[in-house]
Amino acid sequence: MHQPSRRQFLAGAGAGAAALAVAACSNPPSSSSASAGSQAGAMKSYGVGTQFKATEPLTFSIAMLSNPAYPYNANWPFFKYLKQMTNVSFNPTVIPFADYNTKTATLINAGQAPMIIPKIYPGEEDQYVAGGAILAVSDYVHLMPNFQDKVAKWNLDGDLNQLRQANGKYYLLPSLLQSVWQDYTLGVRGDILDKLAIPTPSTWTGVQSMMLAMKHAHPGLYPLSDRFNQPTPGGNFLNILSAAYGTAAGWGYQAFNNGAYWDASSGAFVFAGTMPQYKAMVTFANQMYNQGLIDPESFTQADTIALQKLTSGKSFVISENAQGVVTDQATLSSGQTIVKLPLPAGPLGKTLAQNASGRISSGGGVMISSKALSSPNFTALMQFIDWLYYSDAGQLFAKWGVQGVTYTGSVTDGTFKLEPDVTWAGLNPAGKKKLNADFGFFNGVFVTYTGTTELLDSQFPAAELAFQKGMASWGISPLAPPAPLTTTQTQSATLTGTTLLDTVQSQTLQFILGKRPLSQWDSYVSELNSQGASQFVSTYNQAYTTYKQQHG
Amino acid sequence: MVSEPAVTEGAPARGARLAALGKAAPRGPAGGPGRGGIVPRGGRGARPWPPPTRGYRVFRVINAIILALVVVAVLFPFLNVLAQSFSSERYINAGQVNLWPRGFNLTTYEHVMSDPLFWENYRNTIFYTVTATVVAMVVTTCYAYVLSKPRLRGRKVLIGIAVFTMFFNGGIIPNYVLVSFLHMRDTVWAIALPNAINIFNLLVMKSFFENMPPELEEAAAVDGMDTYRILWRIVLPLSKAVIATMTLFYAVMFWNSWFSAFLYMDNQGLFTVTVYLRNVVDSVTSVASGQQSAGTQVQIAANIQAVTVVLVAVPILFVYPFIQRYFVSGVTLGAVKG
Repeated sequence: MHQPSRRQFLAGAGAGAAALAVAACSNPPSSSSASAGSQAGAMKSYGVGTQFKATEPLTFSIAMLSNPAYPYNANWPFFKYLKQMTNVSFNPTVIPFADYNTKTATLINAGQAPMIIPKIYPGEEDQYVAGGAILAVSDYVHLMPNFQDKVAKWNLDGDLNQLRQANGKYYLLPSLLQSVWQDYTLGVRGDILDKLAIPTPSTWTGVQSMMLAMKHAHPGLYPLSDRFNQPTPGGNFLNILSAAYGTAAGWGYQAFNNGAYWDASSGAFVFAGTMPQYKAMVTFANQMYNQGLIDPESFTQADTIALQKLTSGKSFVISENAQGVVTDQATLSSGQTIVKLPLPAGPLGKTLAQNASGRISSGGGVMISSKALSSPNFTALMQFIDWLYYSDAGQLFAKWGVQGVTYTGSVTDGTFKLEPDVTWAGLNPAGKKKLNADFGFFNGVFVTYTGTTELLDSQFPAAELAFQKGMASWGISPLAPPAPLTTTQTQSATLTGTTLLDTVQSQTLQFILGKRPLSQWDSYVSELNSQGASQFVSTYNQAYTTYKQQHG
Repeated sequence: MVSEPAVTEGAPARGARLAALGKAAPRGPAGGPGRGGIVPRGGRGARPWPPPTRGYRVFRVINAIILALVVVAVLFPFLNVLAQSFSSERYINAGQVNLWPRGFNLTTYEHVMSDPLFWENYRNTIFYTVTATVVAMVVTTCYAYVLSKPRLRGRKVLIGIAVFTMFFNGGIIPNYVLVSFLHMRDTVWAIALPNAINIFNLLVMKSFFENMPPELEEAAAVDGMDTYRILWRIVLPLSKAVIATMTLFYAVMFWNSWFSAFLYMDNQGLFTVTVYLRNVVDSVTSVASGQQSAGTQVQIAANIQAVTVVLVAVPILFVYPFIQRYFVSGVTLGAVKG
């Protein structure tokens, strides 16, 4: 473990500053030079459904995130089985979870990046494009049959286009989901619903009348006291509420280019914070606040405070996700339950807004170091990545392990079950062996929320499965087209975008919490315009037009 | 000013001998302006205190109350963490743990202490702290001693170089490239050498050495000692206060630091326990920070955090009582230039 990292280091540092300069200045070579002389260890006939196995033992360097819940362990069975199946082992740079991005950024910028850099979310790769240290993978996806197959089968070209930079290439291999996965919604105390005989709401007006009934029975409390406010106030609540109105707020706001929202009806980007839909959403939230349904601290308090209010019975409604339901239930007293509400629908009906693109951004993706291109094993590397991250067999292996060892049955026909002594999250809570900490499966480094809906559903307990079944009937709003900014455009857009974001966030809360009357909406709009909102949006519209002309 | 008693107390015999040699005599009574100042103050200390007035007694009571409140405010977070470390998670999440554990249990301690990685990283912290502190003390003391000599040629330049690094540095990536280039990654030197000289500590030590009576060293030189023996036999034994203080500063700094270990170590068997701690504490806060799937990011329970914090903080706390007797006089050493 120690030895290879030193060797790698010698190779990197020997060239020293020269290597750094080369990495920083050279442009990624064109795709024509890709395959010659980089075939060592690669399979001649590799395709969809083929089990990848390198023709000679190979070692790839990788940035290995170590999660405190399942710290990296070189002796994990995962690595043993992977070696047996693919003839590949890793030379890891182990990086603690808490500061993963700091360290990977340093490694990449210092020219010492490992070949494989996983756990990179769409947008995070942008900063490395100009440096040239990251491979433009879009030039080499022809080496990845499973990746291409899934993109074609699931119609993901439009989603991938959003990753494209101004040169028309993309630098990140994202996770690919068959269907959009909505995890976050509101959670509610199920026992209170039963006691007050309130029907489970499915729309935002239903949520409002549910909370009114709660307020009626318990006039002294605020039914909703929310969490997930750092770093974005009202992160989840405003996100799902704005999506129901066909606009963006909360933590979805930044996902839509810092507020440059694609308006499909007009075929142009508009500024989210001044849309009429945005005003309607703020008006509705303000109405609920005036009815005493929302805690005044709801959008600013710390998560722990919000959770304390829920567990001590001072509030009944809170933002939830599948994992949160499991952990929150453990802190409630017996007889109290927390359940996820079906995602409430708004004026838009049962239509999901896609944050950038939910099908490629819900899990981390993989970047490849440009240095890998000069390796004799480059083709084998791409085949290996394709098998592990994008083939059905590889995804199943990384997630659930080996049939007969960690699980039984099959994911495709719904008979999947973990072995009785193996536990993961809410599944088999009595099991003694942890699927992640003891085996190394379901490791965020290799499992990226990718794959078929059946594979995704196999991880959910019954309640969550019901929630997901309910989501199946939802449609998807149109995707934004690619509008990659040039470096100069990025700089000016970041500057104005940040100012605008501050104004929108603070004024949204002012409006909702009644500190600023809604009659001042027009002056709020002109404030934003004087801060450059219309220029900001036209930057994106320009980029959109330019890209369309250059790349079709 | 406070340095004076330390010096004389440390070497009464030598002082007497020097006086007998007549070396100290010419400058003795007149002294520098600073040393002149100490004489009347020492005299005032010998006078009996006037009886406390009523106003003064009221002041003392209020003073005691305010200080007690400050102590409570400082201690509360620590006691709270201590109470949490013995409590069960359910009470912590419900916000019911203040100063006394609720749902008392030791299982969390057993859990954390049974993690081999925790102890491995703990050993690293001790090893890095001891090594880095020794290196830092040697280098800083030598540099400070040299800088304290006015006759040194290029002294201003040397001070300038040191102070320059206080205001400017290369930044993370050039530092990383340098450390890599010197083959120091994954070794203790990546932690010890880049942090070996803390400019603040250096200037305090320099100031201390400057205040030392030059007669002592002159006498030693006349007795035939060279520079190194003067430093080793005369100056250092008289500088225990400042050395103890600086050792404490450095030891606490290295114990608490996590960034160097995080950045320069590529193997978790080489991490420090502070990296381990940061990973445990931070994983909770970063889970909910974006709409990213929390499924693979299993949360670490609040009581595990508390236990880890306690286990990491306690050893370095125990260093303080042993160094404390030097500490009070030490911090102000050389603070006022004589």
